[in-house]
Amino acid sequence: MSYKITEEGNVSTVFLNGEIDMDITETAKETILPIIDSGKEVHLNLKDVSYMDSSGISVLIESHQRALEKGTKVVIKEVSKSVLKVIMMAKLEQILNLE
Amino acid sequence: MNLNESKDFLVHTSSLKEVRVFSREVFEKINLDVDLKEELVLAIAEAAQNIVKHGYKGVKETNDRMEIKISLKDNNLEIGFFDKGKPVIPENIQHRKLDDIKPGGLGTFFIKQIMDDAVFKKDEQQWVNHLILTKKI
Repeated sequence: MSYKITEEGNVSTVFLNGEIDMDITETAKETILPIIDSGKEVHLNLKDVSYMDSSGISVLIESHQRALEKGTKVVIKEVSKSVLKVIMMAKLEQILNLE
Repeated sequence: MNLNESKDFLVHTSSLKEVRVFSREVFEKINLDVDLKEELVLAIAEAAQNIVKHGYKGVKETNDRMEIKISLKDNNLEIGFFDKGKPVIPENIQHRKLDDIKPGGLGTFFIKQIMDDAVFKKDEQQWVNHLILTKKI
């Protein structure tokens, strides 16, 4: 997995890339959670994420819940077809903010 | 088409990508729908992850290896997982309730969604756990 972050006002957009599995979830959390903790709105752009397993889904859930605690939000943008399928399998499409 | 392929992997999170590569290579040899292939890869990767995450919970590093065997006979797909981790007590394996939204606990749910059956067998003396996933394709 690789990533890049862009900033615009109070919104940080994290562009994740590649395959997200248990091996990189700590890196993903270390990237995303501090931004949420700073109170910023986080957009996770998943258009270039080709694979996500249950560990990756856990990162999305943890990010979503941390944002609620901090009074901000995480928006999942441009989710790839393969990742959307896994999100829907977990029945999270109504829970997570998908755009 | 019948096939029978196996490969062993170091029990480590860094092996999960290799597991997916192996699975995709095997499924390339079978005329399967692309979406089904990726679902099967996910199920295999989740089962392998369970070995790393739960079978070796508390073990910082190990040289142990796990073996994955993919067999297809008469449209019956069978995927075997062999490991020497902590003995699995099948009755204790439960996925979390889907309406209890929290990180974790989804891997087993995905496996059950994708595969027809998942059973642990005690038929391999050289291994501790032998999980068999099956699906009619």
